[in-house]
Amino acid sequence: MISVQYELTRILFVLVLCSAALLITQRSLTSLFSIYAVQSLLLSFVALLLFWKTGVYALLFIAGLTILTKVVVIPYVLRKVQKDIYTKRDLEFSYLSPVSSILISTALIFVVYKSFAHFRFGLSQDNVFFMGAVIGVSLLFIGMLIIFSRKQMITKIIGYLTMENGVLLFSLFIAELPFIIEVLIILDLIILILLSAILAFGIDSTSTMKEFHRKLDPFSLWFKKQQK
Amino acid sequence: MILLMYGLPGLVLLAILFMRPQRPGYGRLLNIATVVNASIYLASTIFILAGVQLPVSFFSGNYLYIDMFGLYEVLIASIVFLLAALYARGYIRGLLKKKEIDRENLKLFYGAFNLLLIVIVFAFISNNLALFWILLELTTILSAILIVTLNARENVLAALKYVFTASTAMLFSFIGIILIFAMTQQALGTGTLNWSELIVQAHSLPTPLFTLAFMFIFIGLAAKAGIVPFHTWLPPAHAKAPSVVSALLSAVLLNTGIYGIIRLYAIAHRTPAIKQISLMLIIFGVVTVGIAAFSMLSRENIKKLVAFSSIEHMGLMIIGLGLGTPVVLFWVLFHTLGHALIKSLLFFSAGILHQEFGSNKFYDMKNVLSLQPLASLGLIVGGVAIIGTPMFPLFFSKLYILIQLGEFSKPLLFLVLLLLLIVAASIAIFLIRTCCQTDEVKPAVRYRVPWVMKAPIITLMVMIFTIGIFFPQMLQNMLSGIVFSLGF
Repeated sequence: MISVQYELTRILFVLVLCSAALLITQRSLTSLFSIYAVQSLLLSFVALLLFWKTGVYALLFIAGLTILTKVVVIPYVLRKVQKDIYTKRDLEFSYLSPVSSILISTALIFVVYKSFAHFRFGLSQDNVFFMGAVIGVSLLFIGMLIIFSRKQMITKIIGYLTMENGVLLFSLFIAELPFIIEVLIILDLIILILLSAILAFGIDSTSTMKEFHRKLDPFSLWFKKQQK
Repeated sequence: MILLMYGLPGLVLLAILFMRPQRPGYGRLLNIATVVNASIYLASTIFILAGVQLPVSFFSGNYLYIDMFGLYEVLIASIVFLLAALYARGYIRGLLKKKEIDRENLKLFYGAFNLLLIVIVFAFISNNLALFWILLELTTILSAILIVTLNARENVLAALKYVFTASTAMLFSFIGIILIFAMTQQALGTGTLNWSELIVQAHSLPTPLFTLAFMFIFIGLAAKAGIVPFHTWLPPAHAKAPSVVSALLSAVLLNTGIYGIIRLYAIAHRTPAIKQISLMLIIFGVVTVGIAAFSMLSRENIKKLVAFSSIEHMGLMIIGLGLGTPVVLFWVLFHTLGHALIKSLLFFSAGILHQEFGSNKFYDMKNVLSLQPLASLGLIVGGVAIIGTPMFPLFFSKLYILIQLGEFSKPLLFLVLLLLLIVAASIAIFLIRTCCQTDEVKPAVRYRVPWVMKAPIITLMVMIFTIGIFFPQMLQNMLSGIVFSLGF
């Protein structure tokens, strides 16, 4: 059963993996943010293609939400944080050089593929769905690799966000979670990222604790209002 | 009606938000609001316990659901929060005087404090695995905010480490949750993530896939509970946080992780996967106890010592859970209560010592016994109780967990006993070193402990003795009810 949508999805998978490879190696922070935005855009395209195929409206909504938060808002916030901390590049890699990271992540994808092949019978039979799950989990591990191998907080946040993209990809292909849960998850993640970004500001810059608390406070109020 | 009782404290929060920090007596007002909030929670929990037929579920999708197990955890949480709220009044005033916290941050502190209680209670009464996940993420964020309110850069580092470790691990959990949803969708036609339905449908889940899902979810919950190797955030976070927050972290927040693991284990108990999962839990538990025991040996910081002791106890509970008999589950649940009370006592006492000496290191504390008799008594009672001496609650739970471990494997029992001996020795050494240091020069100003800080410590001591010596029949019935309802 080969359809246009699935072929396109396959191409998008390759592009997602390319973006992950770029995230591992790229040193300039601004390009890191752009690559992240592009990766999220690719994910929303995947969601759109799935919507085209299946006609489930929740997927359309998820695509829209992804574009809004992950392509527009989060990169914008990250750029703002980066402006505050005056760093342009993250040159340090603590344990791994970029080349070895790429090699390891290739191996990771292979391992994930192999181990998921065992469990295929329990899940959906479709090949594209299987690949989606594998690439999602691989992206999760690649994000973790970025967190381990980079030193600066803001790059670690990019690693965390990549992990999140992996989870999103995985959940797109494995099961349609109840609609409301998706909304809550994305809201929760935005809050988390904002908090981490502000905390990162507190560490990386030379500002005083007082300024840090001033920045934290209005945000926390906003956050509490969200809760109600 | 019940939901209203748990939703009511939102009003308290609103009141906090609209108060202006310039007003005189602002801190006291905030504190009173917090105490009221915690008391409402404790009162409504006791009300439900006394007069409502359990379990109760809400909404058509059964997203919220109160059963005995959830209520038991809510009860522990609300007791600890109420005592902590009282204690905070004196403690925060001391911090303000020493300029360790700014007046402007009081709102942030109390706001996060109250919100944390609400979120934790809803986590315990949520029936849905995904909702539980979201609420756990929120507890991470809120407790991180509580840690960074102090004026110290190390606190930001500790909080960041906490947020990163916990939420990275929780992403793995999410994968597991999706897997469970997909499995139930395959097996039943419609996917479900409700605890109450999962436990009924457990037998129809495919075994290898369920094991995989369990492992993924376990990673996240283990990070929340501080199980090795996901424990790295725990010691710095406990050591840097204000003592009242450390008490909450150790007594309530770690419980959320253990609670999730127990729920999940109850589901696994009905599948053939239980053998592998039990073995895995026991291995994790023994490694956790081992790492914690050796890390405790040479601690100089009192709060770090207590933090590692928390890791050790979490490991012990995981071992007990892995053994998986009804008796041991009963005592694991009892251990949760005993551990929460004793840990709060230890951290509250450590907080007073920190106010007196301005440090958490034992070598800065001179003449402890004569300067702060109550705090040192609390420390000694807590230290003796935490290692499981008779007359204290942890004695029975440790004894029964170890007896069951001996039935499982004798060499393992020997190993764990040895490790527990190291733990006991390191706590004893620490207590002796702290209490025996004298100095001819007495400090010019003594820290006068206000009664609001003394009262929680005395209450905790009374509670620990009561539970340890009498072990009320009501508690006994409640615990057996929980064990029965989990299907053991």
